[in-house]
Amino acid sequence: MISCTEFIPAYSELFKFLEAKGGKQEVVAYWEYISDNFLHNLRELVQEHGLRGCWLYWSHTLNEEAADFTMTIDDEAGEFSIVMHHCPSKGRLNQLQHLEPYHDYCGHCDVLYRRVLEPLGFECLADLSECEQARCSFVVREKRT
Amino acid sequence: MRRTAADNPYLHKDFHGAMSTGIQYLHERYGEEAVRDYLRQYTDAYHAPLKAAISRRGLAALQEYFERIYAIEGAEIAIEFSEDELVLKVAACPAVSHMRQHGYRVADLWIETTRTVNQQLCAGTPFAYELLEYDEQTGRSVQRFYRRAS
Repeated sequence: MISCTEFIPAYSELFKFLEAKGGKQEVVAYWEYISDNFLHNLRELVQEHGLRGCWLYWSHTLNEEAADFTMTIDDEAGEFSIVMHHCPSKGRLNQLQHLEPYHDYCGHCDVLYRRVLEPLGFECLADLSECEQARCSFVVREKRT
Repeated sequence: MRRTAADNPYLHKDFHGAMSTGIQYLHERYGEEAVRDYLRQYTDAYHAPLKAAISRRGLAALQEYFERIYAIEGAEIAIEFSEDELVLKVAACPAVSHMRQHGYRVADLWIETTRTVNQQLCAGTPFAYELLEYDEQTGRSVQRFYRRAS
């Protein structure tokens, strides 16, 4: 068994394995597959609760992942945001002295979540400029006409 | 909502479902051997310190590792241990239990996350591995690590 506490390095190694098979496009194809075949709970929560579905989804996952974060929702403005002060996944990878993380490890978050949320009427803004230091932010906004 | 890392334990069991999705993807896109190749690469990379400890300290290093990860996962295990042999009995794989309970698909080659990983843990060490029993439905298993004949 690979423990769920060992998943992040396994995930990172899978990205490397796929890139060696067929380049970055193979990695992105996998991210799209994961989005389509694994994120049913996010999709269903947002379909049922709208923007608040994001709050429900990430309240569960980020607490279980022991993340250091600030999460806000402004229903009136139609905006949800996560400021990740210390990402538990990237943080763990950075701590492993013997293992080099996949060079675009953090890229998966933007692809996975954008692919679920944009077709449901939201725009997504990811700031990954500090992701090497395990910091990032993700904003989801209702598209209003 | 403001949380720090110290507010929660690190235990996100839905990662088992994500792992399973990845194994199934590899299987469907690249075939069975790609799944095993990937798991060998992962084991050599991530478990390099554990493999070194097995070579240096023997099966005690494996015993400590299994006791630690199965305790984290809340699983019931029994270990029979001697200097030359370790038998690990897992009553039900906690990953399989979580996936079945929450409706995640268990990958067709999920068994390889046990068999291939543990075989590869022994590769290059004085020990060998065999999976004696495995139940696909629950992940119940009996596994044996033993010193290779010299």
